[in-house]
Amino acid sequence: MEKIILLIPSIPIVIAFILFFVNKKELMPKISIMLSSMVAGLALYGTYHVMCNDTPITGLGGLVIYNELSAILVPYVAILGLVIRKYATKYMWDEPGYKRFFILLNFIFSAIYLLVMSNNLIVLTIAWQLMSISLYLLVSFNIRSKSAVKNGSWTMLTHKLADLLFIIAVVLTYKTFGSFDLAELSQKWLKMSENPIEDPAIYAIGFLFLFAAMMKSAIMPFHLWLPYTSEAPTPISGLMHAGVVNVGAILLNKLAFLLLLTPMVLNVAFVMGLITAIFASLLMLVVSDIKRSLGYSTVGQMGYMIMEVGLGAFSLAIYHLMVHGIFKATMFLESGSLIKHARHDPNIPKRLSYELFWEEKSNYSSKKMFRLLAIFTILPVLIFIGIKMVLAEEFFHFNAAIVILAFAWLTGTQLFLSFFKVSKSESLKVVFALVSSFIIILFTYEYLGLTLEHFLYGENALRFYEAATLNVTMVMSLVLLGIIVIVGWLFMYKQHFVDVPKSKEKPSKSKWLFYKILAKEAYFSDIYLKYFKFFK
Amino acid sequence: MSLNIILLFLFAGLPYYIFFEKTKVLKSDKIFLISAFLFLGGIILSSFYPQERSDSLIVISLITSAFSVYKATKTSNFYKVSYYMLFINSPVFMMFDLKQSIPYSISLLITLCGVYFIGKYYERNYRSANYYSISGVTIATPYAGIALTIYIITLALYPPFPNAILFISNILASEIDLLWYITVVVIFFGNFFIAMRIMTRTLFGKPNATIHYVDLASKDKVIHSLIIITLFVFSFWGFKEVLP
Repeated sequence: MEKIILLIPSIPIVIAFILFFVNKKELMPKISIMLSSMVAGLALYGTYHVMCNDTPITGLGGLVIYNELSAILVPYVAILGLVIRKYATKYMWDEPGYKRFFILLNFIFSAIYLLVMSNNLIVLTIAWQLMSISLYLLVSFNIRSKSAVKNGSWTMLTHKLADLLFIIAVVLTYKTFGSFDLAELSQKWLKMSENPIEDPAIYAIGFLFLFAAMMKSAIMPFHLWLPYTSEAPTPISGLMHAGVVNVGAILLNKLAFLLLLTPMVLNVAFVMGLITAIFASLLMLVVSDIKRSLGYSTVGQMGYMIMEVGLGAFSLAIYHLMVHGIFKATMFLESGSLIKHARHDPNIPKRLSYELFWEEKSNYSSKKMFRLLAIFTILPVLIFIGIKMVLAEEFFHFNAAIVILAFAWLTGTQLFLSFFKVSKSESLKVVFALVSSFIIILFTYEYLGLTLEHFLYGENALRFYEAATLNVTMVMSLVLLGIIVIVGWLFMYKQHFVDVPKSKEKPSKSKWLFYKILAKEAYFSDIYLKYFKFFK
Repeated sequence: MSLNIILLFLFAGLPYYIFFEKTKVLKSDKIFLISAFLFLGGIILSSFYPQERSDSLIVISLITSAFSVYKATKTSNFYKVSYYMLFINSPVFMMFDLKQSIPYSISLLITLCGVYFIGKYYERNYRSANYYSISGVTIATPYAGIALTIYIITLALYPPFPNAILFISNILASEIDLLWYITVVVIFFGNFFIAMRIMTRTLFGKPNATIHYVDLASKDKVIHSLIIITLFVFSFWGFKEVLP
């Protein structure tokens, strides 16, 4: 009975096939939603089965598997798919190509399910490439728009390169390990990891898979396709930012045991993720286009995700991609209704947070603000350390702690600082609301992260941290982090409260150059425009 | 060796189309038919007399392939593109094992026949097989759009269509060396670039207001349906070949 779950990837194809023969517009979303609900139901049943029996569901000659990773990701994708389909029902109504949209949407979902559930490298290769072509057709959905088609071509080029690296990696894997079966390969890799390995072929395979994942997850310097494809209809943007871009982390999780053999690959992943996270976060602040800014925000989050993988926190990357996916999908889909409200209301549409915290500022004292700033930049770190110590004492044994600590500080500070713009920030009500919500979020994040780690990898999870070690002592890392925090904090204080430049003063040349580089998105788009004209 | 040279010629390893194009002895649709015919001859001949791998001939076919990619970027004629695509893929037949390369070559020929029939349809309705400025086909003529999308995706080596699957089967079965890497990259990107160029110029873009668009007639639909079904059959066969 449970084997029926393995048919999940084929159901969207069936839906697409049915839709091809349906001519009544009203029926298209209904059929799509009804049958997709079935997928969600099956996925939830599969998850229940895996959790209860503690064994994966295999079948179809071992080509697909419903294991712990599928048990988490398939229901997530299925429910996301349902929401997107429901949203698109009205949103896409007046667009030309309503039927085409639903057919393509089903194709990409089929590819995602197949990718998550594949237990064979050939099936994975097919799903990997199917996703590329479905994404291209969706990104270029607005075929009349020149820029949409042009940006779609960039996307396609990057993804095709990822496909090539992936295929070469698969061929090399087969030649080196003699199998396509992922479960079998994982066992082999786990056994091999007991002794140190210096085989360059294995490192080459690891790097090829890593770079393929980086390209699909928009990690620098392959990031440009993501911020520039915001022209796609909102449901597609939602799907892209919440689902498609995450495939890099999904792939690396599927190949987690291979990466145990290649610590250097993990270290490179960490560095590239770190650079991407910082670079994209800076660009997010500088670019003038709001949709592109959101694109860079996703790129930054992907940087964090790859960084987590690089530190051996594989399961945390999965949790991160789900949380970020839900957040981004909500943002994109919410933007549609917000625009609708804004059209009727000349002011900013009022939300609960607005009603609670906002009113016009009359004046503020910089000393008071500095004091609050100091509290709110240190407080998140203290809260975070407390929660970590309550949940897992072994936390300080791993380097992953550093990035999580930095992440906590960044998110906490961002959250608190964003509320300094509101005049009620000094009130006890606001402080209490912020601190308590931060504690709840962090507690949930950490608790679920650890639970997920136990569920996905069990006792093997610790091996990843050991493999990913950067050979940097804990004290050195903490000192470095402390310096970054203090310098960043003083810089912010100086910029905002002490030395605000007057309009007559010109910024220094170096600062101006730095800003210019960021504002031009480090000239990546110019390079692409100049040298990638193959499709013209 | 002499057999290898004959096969190099038959498998489009030598760009003999230059002669026909320069002298204008034959029209482009006829050049495609001749190329396809010689190609089939090559398949039959090689099945009787298996060839030995020759690195120098592979290098020649790679040069031909790169030259054909260049030529394909300079045209917007469906017939010309069809035979250029054949020549772009010539290293596959010189490099890889016959057992794997024959199904690939047949599936490639079937796809190119589809493109050829699209060219015929264009010639009938738009007076030439030139696709330049006939943009926005996806919206203006949906059935022609679907057929063309499938052929282009197949040529661009994307699954679930057979060319991609059989190509993977080819590269899996052969020994890896420097020529292997070069051939894989040239074939992979050569096919992709040309296919994507056609896609952006035909399927995408605003429909041209000065053109009266006509969708596929019933007879065309039957032909293209048969070709597409054959491609799917090859896909299933390819899956069976490549999966353990």
